[in-house]
Amino acid sequence: MRCMKEFSKEELARYDGKNGSPAYVAYRGKVYDLSGSFLWKNGNHQVLHNAGVDLTDAIEQAPHSGDTLERFRVVGTLQAAGSKDS
Amino acid sequence: MRKQFDGGDTMARVTREMVEKSGINVNQLVELLVKNAAAELTTYYYYTILRCNLIGLEGEGIKEIAEAARIEDRNHFEALVPRIYELGGKLPEDMKAFHDTSACPPASLPKNPTDTKAMLKVLVEAERCAVRGYTHICNLTAGKDHRTYDLSQSILNEEIEHESWFSEFLGEGPSGHFMRKGEYSPFVSKFLR
Repeated sequence: MRCMKEFSKEELARYDGKNGSPAYVAYRGKVYDLSGSFLWKNGNHQVLHNAGVDLTDAIEQAPHSGDTLERFRVVGTLQAAGSKDS
Repeated sequence: MRKQFDGGDTMARVTREMVEKSGINVNQLVELLVKNAAAELTTYYYYTILRCNLIGLEGEGIKEIAEAARIEDRNHFEALVPRIYELGGKLPEDMKAFHDTSACPPASLPKNPTDTKAMLKVLVEAERCAVRGYTHICNLTAGKDHRTYDLSQSILNEEIEHESWFSEFLGEGPSGHFMRKGEYSPFVSKFLR
């Protein structure tokens, strides 16, 4: 099985969907590519949420579940807090 | 806010102040309302195409209820516009940009428009997006911006009914509703005077 890329918080922040960069978000340790989503144009979602971050807590408050992300491609995992950069 | 007019004060200054004072970022709220207004107007347009393509015996069966949702979504756009301006916002001058700012994806005609189930799936997903959108605005404004909350809750009530209609037609379960005859927007009509 191919190893998935592990993203640090800082690396993930570079994929904010702006200036041509892909739009990635993390949820429960997985990193998803939302670049093709109509609802994530320019890395912004419903005004309040930006790509390039861990949205685990935000999704718990959202009017939809994390299952919504399952249709998007997983591009890696998010380093657990406190882990050293590889 | 840039002052564009010479009336001596800014539009609905106290209205906006009260919302700001409650802790809401008014610029973000206005942006959300504009996105949802775009979703309503574009849905009205796309539902027009969907309704026109509901032909044959099967299509006829859902044409009327699709029409009710279509007209009510247009009413939602009409009801949102004054609140956007009351809060110091405005609609984009470029309609193409307005379309692309929509809070929901386009309710596009499916590849096979004679497939009634596919049509219903487009309709129900559009309503589901709207239910999420207005639930979000209600959550943001509850107990804080009473007028926007009242408006969003009224729209939400109608979107929930729309979702339930199409969901029932898909055989997903009983909605408990019988479709409206004659009068549209029982919840939102008070904002359309």
